[in-house]
Amino acid sequence: MRNQANPWLTGNLFVLVLGMLPAIVLIGALLYFTAWAFAFSFTDLALVGRKSVEWSWVGLENFERLFTRRGFLESLWTTVIFVFFSAIVGQSVLGFLLAATLRGTQSTIRSVVEVCIMLGWLLPDIVAAFLWSATTSQTGLINQLIVVPLGFRPINFINEYALPIVTVANIWKGTAWSYLLFSAALDSVSREVVEAAKVDGATPFQRIWLVQLPIIRPHIATNMLFITIWTFTYFPLIFAMTGGGPGRQTETLAVFLYNQSFARGNLGFGSAISVAMLAIVGVLSLFYLRLLREPK
Amino acid sequence: MDNTGPSRLTAIALAFMAVIWVSPFSWLILNAFNPLSTGQLEIPKAFGFDNFGLAVSGNAGRQFINSLIIAAGTATLSVVVGISAAYPLSRLRIPGRNALLWTLVLLRMLPSAGVLVPLYFAAQRSGLLNQLGVIIALTILNLPFTLLLLKNFFDTVPIELEEAAYVEGASLLQIVTKIVLPMSRAGIAVVWFFSFTGAWNEFLLPLIFARVQDAFPMSVGLYAAFGQQGAINYGFLTAFSILYAAPAIGVYFLLRRNMNTGFAGVGVKG
Amino acid sequence: MLRRGFLTTVAAVSLMAASALPTQAEVSFMYPEWLSALVEPGIAAFQTETGETVKAIKLPGQGYDQRIALDLSAGTAADVNVMDSFMVSELASAGYLLPLDEQLKGWDQFQYYMPGLLEVASYQGKVYALPTDTDVRMLWYDLSNFAKAGIPTPWEPKNWADILDAAQKLKDAGVQYPFQLPAGTKQAEAATMQGVYMALLGADVPEGDRNRLLKRDTNQWIGDSPALRRTFDLYAKVYAEDKLNPADLNYATDIGAAVRSALANDQLGILASGSWEDACLWDCNNPPSREVRDAEVAWTPWPGSGEPGTKKTTNISGGWTIGVNANASDKDLAFKLVTAIFDEGNFKAWTLATHRMAVRTDISESKEYMADPFLAKATALAADTTGRDTVPGYQTVSALIQQATSDLVDGVSVDEVIQTYHDALVDEFGKENVVTYE
Repeated sequence: MRNQANPWLTGNLFVLVLGMLPAIVLIGALLYFTAWAFAFSFTDLALVGRKSVEWSWVGLENFERLFTRRGFLESLWTTVIFVFFSAIVGQSVLGFLLAATLRGTQSTIRSVVEVCIMLGWLLPDIVAAFLWSATTSQTGLINQLIVVPLGFRPINFINEYALPIVTVANIWKGTAWSYLLFSAALDSVSREVVEAAKVDGATPFQRIWLVQLPIIRPHIATNMLFITIWTFTYFPLIFAMTGGGPGRQTETLAVFLYNQSFARGNLGFGSAISVAMLAIVGVLSLFYLRLLREPK
Repeated sequence: MDNTGPSRLTAIALAFMAVIWVSPFSWLILNAFNPLSTGQLEIPKAFGFDNFGLAVSGNAGRQFINSLIIAAGTATLSVVVGISAAYPLSRLRIPGRNALLWTLVLLRMLPSAGVLVPLYFAAQRSGLLNQLGVIIALTILNLPFTLLLLKNFFDTVPIELEEAAYVEGASLLQIVTKIVLPMSRAGIAVVWFFSFTGAWNEFLLPLIFARVQDAFPMSVGLYAAFGQQGAINYGFLTAFSILYAAPAIGVYFLLRRNMNTGFAGVGVKG
Repeated sequence: MLRRGFLTTVAAVSLMAASALPTQAEVSFMYPEWLSALVEPGIAAFQTETGETVKAIKLPGQGYDQRIALDLSAGTAADVNVMDSFMVSELASAGYLLPLDEQLKGWDQFQYYMPGLLEVASYQGKVYALPTDTDVRMLWYDLSNFAKAGIPTPWEPKNWADILDAAQKLKDAGVQYPFQLPAGTKQAEAATMQGVYMALLGADVPEGDRNRLLKRDTNQWIGDSPALRRTFDLYAKVYAEDKLNPADLNYATDIGAAVRSALANDQLGILASGSWEDACLWDCNNPPSREVRDAEVAWTPWPGSGEPGTKKTTNISGGWTIGVNANASDKDLAFKLVTAIFDEGNFKAWTLATHRMAVRTDISESKEYMADPFLAKATALAADTTGRDTVPGYQTVSALIQQATSDLVDGVSVDEVIQTYHDALVDEFGKENVVTYE
């Protein structure tokens, strides 16, 4: 309740609400559009043709098919592995470590590393896919520089290790975001607090673990939520690299969703898949929300 | 100053990582400067700027301007709308505001495919099948992320500073512009850049919203590399994507330089 | 404040948009970039002849199908549109396209179109668009690898057993990709057209459409049939049971480049593909000389399965088309633009320059066209071709077929794949629209 006693806020409530108005209008529009996407999951809406105009309600049929037809459950498992290793372990941890290390580094090294990770983030998905498939192909960089000189036969990485390769490619592509967010977050930790900890004899590790991490906890939770959502729904890179194959090895839910809504043209079923994805990430986010709470 | 500076070992480790990180780009560079590029990783027999000439020969100049308008427009609109809503959200005790923001962010999981059709019809009815329409649509789609991020950054600004300013007679506007915004400068920059890159890479919305081909941004222009029956012009593709990514990286460094002179290093009285 | 500024801007921009609308008749036209060489001279000729201006919008191939579907349903589409032939029936069934029969009667060059090829652009007996070109499908094979495996050339397989036998010999001779049969969702339409449908057509007798995906007289999709089972069996043999081909070419990031490099490295045995490979096996735009190409590869028609009563050879065709929006402001002018593009001089020059297969007899019987030995021979196949099932729903069925081949690559049993396919058809079209053949 402390905040409400702040006179510069209570005295200007009208202005504050007025400031929120544009956002409220736009959020209203967003809710309107997403309500459509929700509603579509109970219809047989198609992408093209007659059923794109004259669709009808089909009740829970689309949701039943998630479990009675091949595809959804298999893809869910692939997605869980992909998200856990590429987003949570890869991007988030690596991004934080980089942000924490680079904060004290001279600017040249920092600039070089930043350019490197930023290039991945900014390269169009489709080009990143070509780049990674060229890197991992039988005549690619890894085979030419490492595998063949060591006397092994060239390895067809995408054929044999498809999921690990797309996972690494996604770490490469997406770490920049976590790095940026954590850098900005660490920036907001006041120097005095860190200095005080140093005077008290804390090691660099302790300073990060006991002082900085707790302060930026909300940012960590937010970042977990964001990258989980993005990685769950991220599809251009995998789709361009392997198309979900070989077979179904890299068919994540996002690829499955695309195949059902666009290739097959069943927007109704596609919407049901995305609503199910929403529910799954919704449950996950309850765990992340706990991070937000102060441990006191 | 912070003298926890890294040991030589950290520097070497970082440099090593940078090398690994950047090594896949060899493919991009080798193909871009190879006039006879085939998409294979090989040392070019010839070296030249033909591909870059090809990449800028078409509509690239116009497309670059369009990309810039869409990306900067989206980023600025997102940040302005976001700030004016996130500050009250951060400071006023609105019940369930966190749950609300998280729910909004979660809703963004619903694919734009489902949203696309109603969005398109709405834009058509309001006469917004143009770049302004793309900017507004992208702002709408960004807003949940923007709001949550900005609120988090405002939360970390100590309210005591605002109290002190109020006691000294500052108005709300002064408090926000003189204290809150400068203190969250890094965060605002990140959010702006996030919206900027998102819009810079957006392909589908500009493609379907544009009524004339002069309105296409670079993300659409890139696909000129793809012909029929899977024939791909790799020289064009690689050269174009270098030209395409470079401005966004430039924007990042402009932004970062301005960020560094700001809050970092300024002590905060607790 | 912001809100008001926003609204003012919206209003201002809407006004500007409204005032920019043309007052006089004008034809708008949308086409994919790779077709520029055909349509741009046509547009120029149209403008000089009529004095009208064409408002053209050129799109990349990526996202094209999506945009045209959205444009037509929202009423924002151009007057004249280029589209993939499989879209024609979908769009026509939704009422978005103008039936052209009336106008075609008054166009003297219409008589030259081959009727079989107009089928892909028709819906319920009416022509809704005109095809730009056609293609045929066949088995390409690498001559040096055939020599290495001791298979005599020219190779003339009579049935599927001959193909599998050759593939086995190639595998034993150490060829990495003995029989590249398009499979899986990444191959998209290629898996259906170049793979499944080519096999299916020869897998059973043509009577009652037993060798197709669709029973055309009743418009029912075939959920289970001996032909489907035999075709899926062929896939299972190639990819799972006999391991006659590794699957990875089907999932390469750039499948075309992967196939080209496999050919260049002598890793390819038999490739199920189409007439465009005459150039595209090397570089679609700058293929090597005829002699170089003929020394490296040759082709043979797809044989039937060898079951009694089946076709000796099979073929199926697709292609792109140009059609008129049902809501075009000036329909006659729009049609005039179509005829300007397809006017003999322009159409023939493009067909010859890009080595396309002609859709009109006045072009296919011309001296210049017959002078190309490949086109002349391949056109013979086109005479006995069949179109895709151009009814609404084809795209969906094709996607389900691709999914089925993906599962076969993964080693799922034919019974299970058929069951999944059948269930999905029922999900999409209802029980009454799916039949099975014993």
